[in-house]
Amino acid sequence: MTTETDNKHLDTILKVGGDPADLPFWNACEDELFLIHQCQRCKRGYWPASRCVDHGNEAMEWVAASGKATLHTYTIIHRTHLASMKDKVPFVVGVVELDEGPFFHTNIVDCSHSMLELGMPLQVKMARHENGLMLPMFMPAN
Amino acid sequence: MTAQGLNLGLEARELRSQAVDLALADAGLERDAIDGYIRCFVDREDLRYMGLSPNFSVSMMTGGATPVFSLLTAIGMIQSGQAEMVACVYGEAHSARAARGVQPIGAYGYGYPMLYGLMGAAATHAFHARRHMHLYGTTSRHLGAVAVTQRDYAVKRPGTLGYGKPITLDEHQASPMIADPFRRLDCTRDTDGGVAVLVTSAERARQLHAKPIYLLGGGTGHNIANWHKGVPFDNHDNIEPAKRRAFAQAGMTIADIDMAQLYDPFTISPLMQLEAYGVIAAGQGGAFYADGGAGPEGKMPTNTGGGQLSAYYTTGFTGIIEAIIQLRGDAGEGQLKKAGTALVSGHGMNAGVQNTWAHASLILGSEQ
Repeated sequence: MTTETDNKHLDTILKVGGDPADLPFWNACEDELFLIHQCQRCKRGYWPASRCVDHGNEAMEWVAASGKATLHTYTIIHRTHLASMKDKVPFVVGVVELDEGPFFHTNIVDCSHSMLELGMPLQVKMARHENGLMLPMFMPAN
Repeated sequence: MTAQGLNLGLEARELRSQAVDLALADAGLERDAIDGYIRCFVDREDLRYMGLSPNFSVSMMTGGATPVFSLLTAIGMIQSGQAEMVACVYGEAHSARAARGVQPIGAYGYGYPMLYGLMGAAATHAFHARRHMHLYGTTSRHLGAVAVTQRDYAVKRPGTLGYGKPITLDEHQASPMIADPFRRLDCTRDTDGGVAVLVTSAERARQLHAKPIYLLGGGTGHNIANWHKGVPFDNHDNIEPAKRRAFAQAGMTIADIDMAQLYDPFTISPLMQLEAYGVIAAGQGGAFYADGGAGPEGKMPTNTGGGQLSAYYTTGFTGIIEAIIQLRGDAGEGQLKKAGTALVSGHGMNAGVQNTWAHASLILGSEQ
């Protein structure tokens, strides 16, 4: 069943070149749930939506993840062509390694730039984007 | 190759047409000799406009790896009997497009990460630069050494953006931050220009005007394999399978290579590729550049015309062209003393999320 919220999210995802297959993930963010796509045969986690490299599509499901991660790599953006981000520079785009395995691209927030360190523990923090989507951001773990 | 640079005042198709004319003149061929046409990136009206009549025409897109792929594909079409003389053609007029206000910024997005402000190749290449710094202690000054090394080559090469315009390490360090750790002088920019490379059999090539350059080996690899293994950001492409196949075909090792012409959108790129190709050990790239290892007197002269960083950006043809210039002995003041073999690489985005670029290797030689 497609809801109005689904359609609104789908438009936003398509606008940034995202994948409609990830819609269940973005919808769950509305309820502050952070999901990953997981193979129920080998329990390997994936993001974005994937088929399992070993078991294909036979047992892929969206499941709740811990929301815990470590900082794998990052950049601090000082110049941007994106109108929506111009007043936010400099801001941090990081790739975090979720405890369940997959990488996730995100903003690192509530952390001064001088404190950023690869490997530092992080936890998810949901924040409303101006486009209407609830976006998982990551901040230093307590 | 046509003129390269900014604001050439020519449309993309005109640049491709001129490049084809120049290649035909160089080889001493008539138009009807071209019986295969590979347009790197996108094509519609080229053949009619140029008056060509090939057996086939195909557009190809695997990002900045496309030019090397086009040469590999041309070999396949010749060996499968589909053509004898394949033109691999490029021509883009970014300045003309920008002047019309057409900025296809969506093309530089990487899917959902754009929601977080990730856009443009600088940010995505910054991710593996950051990993390299973390793993091996590479510094911004090391990246600056790449920029200065390549500019020093361009300073002596007429027709490049860097011709007669040296830069210093201090100027690199003072250039504004774009996507940390990349400063302005760590980044390339688009330029206008056309290129046409003719691929044919060695036997036919020897009958033509121009000195032939031989394709001795080729290989491909894709970083999506490293994505599945969880190590895409520790690698600048998946070079291992490309390298293995290219060197096996050429019957060579890296010790047999006189120069490297490596795809260089950002300073980290040639540095990490020299490590992956085994010129130096992993993590040694920064010190190698700082010590002049990639300079004209170094162990592996690299991007000897200034590369994409300081010469011009033909989206992957830059290295092919520079290898041909050096192997023919046409590099003038920048001619290397030893120029019999060249390693060339291509690198381009064509798969999932980001940092999953295609890679292609070529080994070229002045002798068969």
